[in-house]
Amino acid sequence: MISFQLLFPISILAGFVGAMAGMGGGVVIIPVLTLLGVDIKHAIAISILSVIATSSGSASAYVRDHITNLKVGMFLEMFTIVGALAGAKITLAISPRPLYIVFGLVLLSSWLALLLTKNSMWHTGPQDAFTRWLELEGSYPDQALGETVHYKARRAYFGAPLMFGAGVIAGLLGIGAGAVKVLIHDLIMGLPPKVSTTTSNMIIGVTALAGTSVYLVAGLISPQLAAPVILGIATGAFLGTRMLVRMTNQAVRRFFLFILMILAVEMLIRGIRGGI
Amino acid sequence: MTESGKTGATGKQRLEFDMDLLVGYILLIGVLLSLALVLAALIWKWMVTRTVEFDYTLSGMNFVQLLTSELRLAATGALRPRLLLTLGILMLMLTPFLRVFVSMVYFMFGLKNWKYTVFTAFVLVTLIYSLCLR
Repeated sequence: MISFQLLFPISILAGFVGAMAGMGGGVVIIPVLTLLGVDIKHAIAISILSVIATSSGSASAYVRDHITNLKVGMFLEMFTIVGALAGAKITLAISPRPLYIVFGLVLLSSWLALLLTKNSMWHTGPQDAFTRWLELEGSYPDQALGETVHYKARRAYFGAPLMFGAGVIAGLLGIGAGAVKVLIHDLIMGLPPKVSTTTSNMIIGVTALAGTSVYLVAGLISPQLAAPVILGIATGAFLGTRMLVRMTNQAVRRFFLFILMILAVEMLIRGIRGGI
Repeated sequence: MTESGKTGATGKQRLEFDMDLLVGYILLIGVLLSLALVLAALIWKWMVTRTVEFDYTLSGMNFVQLLTSELRLAATGALRPRLLLTLGILMLMLTPFLRVFVSMVYFMFGLKNWKYTVFTAFVLVTLIYSLCLR
């Protein structure tokens, strides 16, 4: 078993790198834990538990700033939690090798999504009857623009099943899958970037809880790992988020995205080679 | 926004304003309390044994079983570092659950929005199911 003295600083670093790259700590801690010899299913279980801490921590600030859309969150959570339960059950049933491959692929595509999406991609469109029935609209005070932004979501009928898929990924791999969720909010449902990231943060906490419950009953949550990982990732994410707010240089973010890409490729190679 | 727009907020909007704060503080306090419990467990363990390694497992118990067994232990006065650590983990899991519960109460009694009361109730029931999994 890895010692606390090693795992605690590593978890701080994982939380920090994750936050600086614009993702959670899960995508960093899982590959690192497996490299240190932890079985991937135990790593996934600990990661998804720590995801509750990081997502709820940052969601708390955004909710209080009135940016998060509670209705969008509640509607989509119906789909993500069922997905997360299914995803976690799949992880328990399958062998580790495909988990490495899927993890690598999801990390690579999230990496691409983060690299390619720009805030300018958001544009409003006509709201369909179903989304209007769901009352998915709102407004938030935009401090940068100095005005209140009004928006109406659309295509909830398409966003909902996709969010089920995002939930499956979260439960399966023990990550927040925030990049996937934000992409669905932005591109499919036409939510403003700020609303989509903050609402996704809130959804992630509840989704992670559903996944964690499955791993808890399966006996995969190890208190020995949980203590340093929860504390470390929360500390690292807190520091990373503070740094990210002040940072204007895109080169630093690219560096952290580069680290994520290496981790993704490394997981893929281990999955394909086998003998894990 | 005009001045009249600001002051002309309806009761519903004012309620929403309070709700955001409440949800935000539930999440914040839940996470901080959980982290504090984990930290306290580590410090206590270190003071007693000069090590921070916990070698017990949580095998085969769901949230409800774990919570009742830990609370029963606490009631007998058997307060130990590992009890604090387990309670920290349980507190973390309870945080999003409480958020959903409060949201449901808000949609039901605050906004009287039955559509969203049903949606939130579905999420709550699914979470209760997952916390009672065997």
